[in-house]
Amino acid sequence: MPGFTHLHTVSGFSLRYGASHPERLAERASERGMDALTLTDRDTLAGTVRFAKACAKSGVRPLFGVDLAVAGPVRREGDLRREKRRTPVRGGAFIDESTPRATFLARDGARGWADLCRLVTAAHESEGTPLLPWTENRGDGLTVLLGPDSDVGRALAAGRPDRAAKLLVPWREVYGDALRLEAVWHGREGTGPGSLRLAARTVGFAAEQRIPPVLSNAVRYADPGLGPVADVLDAARRLVPVDPTKELDSGEAWLKDAGAMLHVAERIVEAAGYRGDTAHRLLEQTRATAAVCLVDPEDDLGIGTVHFPEPHLVGAGRRTAQRTLASRAAAGMVLHGYAGRRDYWERMHRELDIIAHHGFASYFLTVAHVVDDVREMGIRVAARGSGAGSLVNHLLGIAHADPVEHGLLMERFLSKERVVLPDIDIDVESARRLEVYRAIIDRFGTERVATVSMPETYRVRHAIRDVGAALSLDPADIDRLAKAFPHIRARDARAALAELPELRELAAEQERYGRLWELVEALDALPRGVAMHPCGVLLSDASLLARTPVVPTSGEGLPMSQFDKDDVEDLGLLKLDVLGVRMQSAMAHAVAEVERVTGERIDLDSVAEGDPATYQLIRSTETLGCFQIESPGQRDLVGRLQPATFHDLVVDISLFRPGPVAADMVRPFIEARHGRAPVRYPHPDLEESLKGTYGVVVFHEQVIDIVAVLTGCGRGEADRVRRGLSDPESQRRIQVWFAQRAEANGYDAETIRRTWEIVEAFGSYGFCKAHAVAFAVPTYQSAWLKAHHPAAFYAGLLTHDPGMYPKRLLLADARRRGVPVLPLDVNESGVAHRIELVSESGVWGLRLALSDVHGISEAEAARIADGQPYASLLDFWERARPSRPIAGRLAQVGALDAFGANRRDLQLHLTELHRGARGAGGGQLPLAGGRKTAPAGLPDLTSAERLSAELGVLSMDASRNLMDDHRGFLDELGVVSARRLREARHGETVLVAGAKAATQTPPIRSGKRVIFTTLDDGTGLVDLAFFDDSHDACAHTVFHSWLLLVRGVVQRRGPRSLSVVGSAAWNLAELVELRVEGGLDEVAARLAEPAPDRAPADGEPAAARTIRMPTGYEMHPWADLRPAGEEPAKVRKLWHQSPGSAG
Amino acid sequence: MTILCVRFQLPPMYEAALPRLLGLLEDFTPVVQALPPDGALADLRGAERYFGRDALELAAMIRVRSLALYGVDCLIGAGPGPMLARVALRDARPGTTRTVPEDAVAEFLADKPVAALPGVGAATARTLEEYGLDTLGRVAAAPLSTLQRLVGAKAGRELHEKANGIDRGRVVPNAVSRSLAAERTFARDELDPDRHRRALLSAAEELGTRLRALEKVCRTLTLTVRYADRSTTTRTRTLREPTAHSAALTRTAYGMYEALGLQRARVRAIALRAEGLAPAEQAAHQLTFDPVDDKLRRLEEAADRARARFGPGAVKPGALAA
Repeated sequence: MPGFTHLHTVSGFSLRYGASHPERLAERASERGMDALTLTDRDTLAGTVRFAKACAKSGVRPLFGVDLAVAGPVRREGDLRREKRRTPVRGGAFIDESTPRATFLARDGARGWADLCRLVTAAHESEGTPLLPWTENRGDGLTVLLGPDSDVGRALAAGRPDRAAKLLVPWREVYGDALRLEAVWHGREGTGPGSLRLAARTVGFAAEQRIPPVLSNAVRYADPGLGPVADVLDAARRLVPVDPTKELDSGEAWLKDAGAMLHVAERIVEAAGYRGDTAHRLLEQTRATAAVCLVDPEDDLGIGTVHFPEPHLVGAGRRTAQRTLASRAAAGMVLHGYAGRRDYWERMHRELDIIAHHGFASYFLTVAHVVDDVREMGIRVAARGSGAGSLVNHLLGIAHADPVEHGLLMERFLSKERVVLPDIDIDVESARRLEVYRAIIDRFGTERVATVSMPETYRVRHAIRDVGAALSLDPADIDRLAKAFPHIRARDARAALAELPELRELAAEQERYGRLWELVEALDALPRGVAMHPCGVLLSDASLLARTPVVPTSGEGLPMSQFDKDDVEDLGLLKLDVLGVRMQSAMAHAVAEVERVTGERIDLDSVAEGDPATYQLIRSTETLGCFQIESPGQRDLVGRLQPATFHDLVVDISLFRPGPVAADMVRPFIEARHGRAPVRYPHPDLEESLKGTYGVVVFHEQVIDIVAVLTGCGRGEADRVRRGLSDPESQRRIQVWFAQRAEANGYDAETIRRTWEIVEAFGSYGFCKAHAVAFAVPTYQSAWLKAHHPAAFYAGLLTHDPGMYPKRLLLADARRRGVPVLPLDVNESGVAHRIELVSESGVWGLRLALSDVHGISEAEAARIADGQPYASLLDFWERARPSRPIAGRLAQVGALDAFGANRRDLQLHLTELHRGARGAGGGQLPLAGGRKTAPAGLPDLTSAERLSAELGVLSMDASRNLMDDHRGFLDELGVVSARRLREARHGETVLVAGAKAATQTPPIRSGKRVIFTTLDDGTGLVDLAFFDDSHDACAHTVFHSWLLLVRGVVQRRGPRSLSVVGSAAWNLAELVELRVEGGLDEVAARLAEPAPDRAPADGEPAAARTIRMPTGYEMHPWADLRPAGEEPAKVRKLWHQSPGSAG
Repeated sequence: MTILCVRFQLPPMYEAALPRLLGLLEDFTPVVQALPPDGALADLRGAERYFGRDALELAAMIRVRSLALYGVDCLIGAGPGPMLARVALRDARPGTTRTVPEDAVAEFLADKPVAALPGVGAATARTLEEYGLDTLGRVAAAPLSTLQRLVGAKAGRELHEKANGIDRGRVVPNAVSRSLAAERTFARDELDPDRHRRALLSAAEELGTRLRALEKVCRTLTLTVRYADRSTTTRTRTLREPTAHSAALTRTAYGMYEALGLQRARVRAIALRAEGLAPAEQAAHQLTFDPVDDKLRRLEEAADRARARFGPGAVKPGALAA
């Protein structure tokens, strides 16, 4: 029996509707003997590329289509009636899904595909839910299925064939012979969608109207038994709970095989009153419909071809793009002063040859054009990535660093052997990223430019929230469950419950939630929303809209392709990564601040290399806020490595990657660098390329060199070999090839063996030197700013909030480094953080910004700043017109202290001013003595309340460090401060305490899970590591407390490298509470309690499992995940207000 | 120390027991003010002399009798005035009576949160706390004019007096102001309006039956809808005429429910409360020419008789029979 072709199948890309991934559907289709399968997602084509690729793999012919809501030719009276429903006082209105839907299949190759793209684009043009306007509802290359959800189907369900006939007329006018009626039987009762009677009526009506009927199963999931998942998705989409007393999913909408579909067909035709063998005619019609839908993924979708913007748009005029590129590059040679350098000319010509070979000249010109435009707008821009290895890029002004001088290779970026699209990334100021996008759109037009989408998929937390809500769990329970989990994949939920020590408490009540976990895992990785990718921009020729559906992004209204970044690469669409880098914005702000107050213009790009003060700062490891080198691990590495030159920074950045750390390249490097171990090369020929890194392989470029030198193959080939190293199978082939070629080149077996060991150990990780050079530039620049203009540096950091630490930690760092922190003041503070001369000392201070006030709008902050100075509270109220909550918050943090009276009195006056403004007759003037505000006799904020207000309003403890308040108690406990810890001996057991600044569980070499935490205690930072023997006792406390007290052992690895290995942890907030209420005895009683359930009952420690990475090193299954618990940056409360703490 | 404030620890939705418990208090003094759903104030000034015991001893007797007769424990606060007795009740534990010493009222109040004062609701308490007046001591210390600016002239003056321990209230016997409530809960988040209406119908029927059994009529009806996140919406409507007629109660309840326009709200419970109860014989009834109303009432009478004979489940509206 020939296979059945499903014409109506949705995947998970139909948001909160389809329950299976396109890959799974293709796989199942192949297993069930089908030759072809259609993907008709709702409102989107986003799954197309993945589907096409999966089909190619499974040997199934893909058909493409889409399921769209279609507006009727005339507005129906029902629409009006519905709008009049009363607005609910609670819970919101129902999601309206009443618009009829139709399925559109692409029939005639590229034309059909272009029609589909146009339809989807048109459907998304209107506000609100996607709806295809009737005027756009046409297409020569389309076949249309009208199923149970179409207007015609609904009329039939209502028993109105006459009305169905009337509704059919406009469809027939537009689509003529390409119209089909779709019969679906899901075993339901009655006459609604999925009922036998409706299916039979559809077939009968089709015969009457002489329109071919087709059979489909309206597939929502690949396998039987997924009905409950579909119910959860329905509930999540409609935002209602699953109601088991109502009609649920039939469980029949799976990818049924040909036999089952024949049975369905037989039942339908029998019910329609035909003979049983008519079923074959129905199936035949279906097959015929599928047979004419011919769209070839390669030819028609454009997979595997490249489209660049037309040459005339990128300044080529009437010349070819290649000649224009060559002349621009030559001009760059003269401009950069390389005109007399023969090696530069040679390299340029060689690169131009490679570019010509691939025909990528337009691409380079396009990027150069974009970079020129961005620079003209006065935005900081820098190239990153392997593109920095190309001299042509440097000559065009795309990349700053001179690749010849830094030993960067073109081949790492592009070679004749590489057939993939090269990829140039540019970094711009994050705050102005959208401006850059708009400039690109303006330059090339919306018909050529679109941003790239990024599906947001279900991970465990969202899955728990949606399933919990669907199952009517208590919202408080849902919240607690979701927050307890680290940010892991949904399908690992039960495994995590079984294995993670911090979830042990939850695991004990696991059974209470019934099917929750099963459903949570079923949602794994299904898309639940679409966002704009933060950096990709598509550039194409004018045919873009015929090849990709474009929808407006929700916030900014920028055009966005429905395809994600991998899809567009497969589709041969040119993607330019424009990354918004906060550090660039921060540095721009710092430079602007210095210029504002001193008139001094700093050109960061021409800051001299080798500044001693900068390197001294870096070596001191006080690198908080510096680009790339601020993490605890990096501070440790910087302390051991002691960088002294730019090259050292490049190496440092390259070493701090999972690969090098896993391959243990760090230790030999440090040993050799400090002369504790001899520098060794496998062969003198390799000295040239390994010299800079003391014989240790750090960069991709070095591997390329090693392979090229020993085997004598070109570097392009060597790069291809390097890429092959990550796959164990090809690695074996390469080993044989490598040995043969090296032997032929006259190297002895020992050299070959040792070199191969290095190459093998290196695998494909390590780091591209071009990346590292591009990273090291802002690293050096930011460290330079921190060393020479600290106040401005902190102002920039706080304004643009880069990096991994909460703002309050940067503030603490500023205080420690002697930068005065000036409080918020409506007469002094600007919208952004500013610097100010602190008069008596001549030191620059940091003035906090209005924009950090919780809930303040940009306009409000700007209005306050514009109206400065204010003479009195009344003056401030009348001219700055702050909203009442904002004014109250400003009063709380002391921004209005200049107007006299205490902060509470000020708030009362503000309330009355507010009341007066609303015309409630507040004629009483709250002012006395002209400019000062009269006291009202309310108690002022206490010191602790002020601190609490600062944390609540600014998320920062601005006036002093919050740990200072606990100093007395910490002294009682004998806690060692961060400053004193520097003198502690190796191996000493100490108590440390502080506010948690960051927590990570990065992948590490041993394959174990280690929790790294940084505490801030006001005198400095304490870096802590918890190894897995302490997790049972500590993990939950560490993840879920903000203030921590930790017992641990000091570990020293260098003069500046120090950490504490934790063995016990307590919630300090809880202890402080106990101290206040019950004295030290209570605290002692709490400390005497045994740690919460040690070691699982079933003997074997659960975390013994490791995952072997393709690159060969072992990884803990739960490493490298964002851990549970509130992010420190989001904590806005003081300890005594935190929920969960006693009282 | 002559006023007692008593809270009976009734199981939820069992307030029908309150009248009997009030009767227990009335054995001691005629000056009893009911505080529905589960409390009462009693003025023992006369009783102390009559029984020859002080208020504390009488409180112990009340507790014992309540437990012995009805199996209901109670919390008791005692003070010189009703306000102080009510504040004292907040601290009371079963078994001990919390008293406010007459000479140390200020100290007693100083540490109490503002919300402890009767008449200070959540909104006022929030306002006061916002300005740092979180304890009664601080409120007492604040200037009167400032308090008046905060909460209004009259409320400010009252707040000032109360915080300073000046208790001008009296126990006002109010046998009439009692209420009845009926609640229907759902096993899961319920969105279906039909099931909401059935719950309303059933609750209104119950209220009507209970009112008629007590020979009372109610003046107002309060609808409380509780949602999955434990928040609630409350609506109160005054009936056109005081009634115990199930159909009228149902109509009013439906009206309030429709006005909410709920669609996606996850309803967990619906409660109806009949308030402003008065003896049925005092109620007026507007006669109409519509025979339906009259028929319904006669039907109701018959149904009540059937229930009296065969139990409360004997007669039900058709909609609830399923």
